[in-house]
Amino acid sequence: MNDLTPTSEERSAKLKGLGHSRKRVEDARFTQGKGNYVDDIKLPGMLFGDFVRSPYAHARVKSINVEAALALPGVIAVLTAKDLEPLNLHWMPTLAGDKQMVLADGKVLFQGQEVAFVIAEDRYINADAIDLVEVEYEELPVITDPFKAMEPDAVVLREDLAGQTTGAHGERRHHNHIFLWESGDKEATEDVINSADVVAEEMVYYHRTHPCPLETCGSVASMDKVNGKLTVWGTFQAPHVVRTVASLLSGIEEHNIRIVSPDIGGGFGNKVGVYPGYVCSIVASIVTGKPVKWVEDRMDNLMATAFARDYWMKGKISATKDGKITGLQCHVTADHGAFDACADPTKFPAGFMNICTGSYDIPVAYLGVDGVYTNKAPGGVAYRCSFRVTEAAYFIERMIEVLAIELGMDAAELRAKNFIRKDQFPYQSALGWEYDSGDYHTAWTKALNAVGYKDLRKEQSERVAAFNRGETRSLLGIGLCHFTEIVGAGPVKNCDILGMGMFDSCEIRIHPTGSAIARLGTISQGQGHATTFAQILASEIGLPADSITIEEGDTDTAPYGLGTYGSRSTPVAGAAAAMAGRKIRAKAQMIAAYLLEVHDNDVEWDIDRFAVKGAPEKFKTMAEIAYASYNQAVPGVEPGLEAVSYYDPPNMTYPFGAYVCVMEIDVDTGVHEIRQFYALDDCGTRINPMIIEGQVHGGLTEALAIAMGQEIAYDEIGNVKTGTLMDFFIPTAWETPHYTTDFTETPSPHHPIGAKGVGESPNVGGVPAFSNAVHDAFRAFGLRHAHMPHDQWRIWKIANDLGMHG
Amino acid sequence: MELNDEITIPAPMEKVYASLNDPEILQECIPGCEELIKHSDTELEAKVVLKVGPVKARFNGNVTLDTEGAPNRFSLVGAGNGGVAGFAKGGADVELVDQGDSTLLKYTAKAEVGGKIAQLGSRLMTSTAKKLSAMFFAKFAEIVGETETT
Repeated sequence: MNDLTPTSEERSAKLKGLGHSRKRVEDARFTQGKGNYVDDIKLPGMLFGDFVRSPYAHARVKSINVEAALALPGVIAVLTAKDLEPLNLHWMPTLAGDKQMVLADGKVLFQGQEVAFVIAEDRYINADAIDLVEVEYEELPVITDPFKAMEPDAVVLREDLAGQTTGAHGERRHHNHIFLWESGDKEATEDVINSADVVAEEMVYYHRTHPCPLETCGSVASMDKVNGKLTVWGTFQAPHVVRTVASLLSGIEEHNIRIVSPDIGGGFGNKVGVYPGYVCSIVASIVTGKPVKWVEDRMDNLMATAFARDYWMKGKISATKDGKITGLQCHVTADHGAFDACADPTKFPAGFMNICTGSYDIPVAYLGVDGVYTNKAPGGVAYRCSFRVTEAAYFIERMIEVLAIELGMDAAELRAKNFIRKDQFPYQSALGWEYDSGDYHTAWTKALNAVGYKDLRKEQSERVAAFNRGETRSLLGIGLCHFTEIVGAGPVKNCDILGMGMFDSCEIRIHPTGSAIARLGTISQGQGHATTFAQILASEIGLPADSITIEEGDTDTAPYGLGTYGSRSTPVAGAAAAMAGRKIRAKAQMIAAYLLEVHDNDVEWDIDRFAVKGAPEKFKTMAEIAYASYNQAVPGVEPGLEAVSYYDPPNMTYPFGAYVCVMEIDVDTGVHEIRQFYALDDCGTRINPMIIEGQVHGGLTEALAIAMGQEIAYDEIGNVKTGTLMDFFIPTAWETPHYTTDFTETPSPHHPIGAKGVGESPNVGGVPAFSNAVHDAFRAFGLRHAHMPHDQWRIWKIANDLGMHG
Repeated sequence: MELNDEITIPAPMEKVYASLNDPEILQECIPGCEELIKHSDTELEAKVVLKVGPVKARFNGNVTLDTEGAPNRFSLVGAGNGGVAGFAKGGADVELVDQGDSTLLKYTAKAEVGGKIAQLGSRLMTSTAKKLSAMFFAKFAEIVGETETT
């Protein structure tokens, strides 16, 4: 070796593998406007489809007259439920075991519901034609409150389910009831709570909101009648599942369907489900023999495609006098809207809501979730969180705060007293999960020290005293949160979507000159998969990340996978990538040994090469091995260097974090200012610190939006009051504070590289941190709980209700 | 949405009441009214072009009058449909107070609006309704007052 021989560090750095803040390779096209989104797809002769939507939240459809619309030049056809019925496509199955109208069949059940699909030569003609479709409605009573929906004499919403006392998830005990899902030991929990020293009780509402991705949902369907092949480009977070569903619904053989997810402009759960627009664009293309495009506008998106949350969570938490938690009970009234179209694994109609014991060692617990129909849009997706995990985290982090008030105890101390200890992992929770790993006390202490917690509390009590003396009208809130997520769904034994096990996949081909392409069953919507999956592979196979192309989203080329949502890409597809990489390396080892004329066991892996044990100067690099695999006849070894892995995770992963939000609140105007936000995330092995930081910034900003103003609100007659960005809060740079990020690193013991997923942590942990800051500011003045979102009016109202305006 | 106001019309009460039942005068006074047909003393049908914020639509509506207390008081209920733009329904109670040469008109109106017009225009709805009713009465006072002086 001489001075020009690269050191191990230099060789490692060249790979840009795990732990390297590699720049995002996607951004060259995104920042130059060169992305290729669904609406960028333009095919010769393409037609456009759009919906006539219901202005009523609940009405009978008496008649639909399409004559005037059809008479407009440029209008090709108008589809109604009657046209879809012979194809049995006027209704479609939902991911939650319910069914949903594709086009209004006899009645409409929410404002914005799809009534007719107009197909025209361009979007302008489409818009004119929609105005010409005459629909006669007969109004019916509207229910927007899930508690009223369950009253004995409430109007029947789902007439199609008349007489059905059993649904996809068991007994329906009322005509507007969907399911009761239970977890834990009800009687034992009641016994503990009834005999406890201290019990805190609260109704915690997590309001209805919406993922509102920058790009709305859309699809382009193209039926080639010559070769019988259907191609659909669309905003699909799970393209392979869409192909299977499309095949089952249409009867077209699965090999004749190609689903392509091109660049996707944000998903956040909004693009997991199957929507009437997809079905109608496919039918329209089959009927007309031409490509048909459907793209939502913003109002359509906010009004009709999947919402998130809308959980009324009634909780009881019990503890000993000195603050040791003894039991937790939670009953949820879940407003699912008109159809149960939640995107959850089949066996989990309330998602993983039973992670609601959070980061705490709670000996006994019970959760019951009642799903209820109302006259609101269907959905219930995991908006930047794993299935219902943000609801669960918000619930437990509010209950802890309320319990701290009941005990007269510091909320940080109460948390630390009840955390699952490091030595308890793997930890079996009272509601049935096996937490894989964690070190909560270390993270918590680090967070409290970083923000100077004791000094903050001192400053806060001085501020309260100054307020009481009339010297200030501003309060200080310290919002605490320690969250534990459950992500990476999931083990095939208990997780499936429409019967498809929730494994994921990766297929790698190494090219002769030492570069590679890897295809995965997931699909990036902005997460940076092309950057990070290449890094996982670089560390596994010793080729530079810059020499590895990542491809996803085309079902004709990518291996089958369940898609990207619920922070599952890194835990599941990332694991598949590592495992496929290890298969490549195993074959490379045999080739290297042959080339070095030693036994297979006499070579060892060294960053980017195999070297002879004890003689590191004798080696073959991966690039050399790749070339040899194509031009040397290695006895007993097939030519080429390829591998595929389908990974069935043995368990979920459990990322966690400690967040602190310091907030100033003006009592007289309700205006808040975030003075400091500290976010410590533990996502196990860190693949790309820069991308993690970006994910945390983005997720915290969405959490800020949700906690401080964003909602889908309805009035009594079912109007969506927040159907435009004028009323639906999206933070801009103006509202977004500075964030400080930090980390601890507790690798997942069962994941091949120890990674746990991070994209959703900041939303899960951020919402309770912001909300708790608001509550904490008013704790000294008697506030126990106030519902989100904490917009200025609602904060002002807290102060007003507490008599703080004189 | 609720509106209430009072306005003085420079004409005697009988004249005001008669004018309020005159479809030609009403059509002229209702902003955006394209057509007003009187089917009977208590039933009217109207076509009105309404613009709230960014939504403009033609509403077809029916109005039913309750004239039991006339001419001192009467009430009306109505409903209109603007297709995909939405729908509206509501009612009003009107009271006329005889002040000799002039008449004091007091009204209370309630309306429920749905569909796109409610979503897009929610924050503009009350101000638009106030503006439209002000336009109506300004025109009404002008026409009824004029005919009186000639």
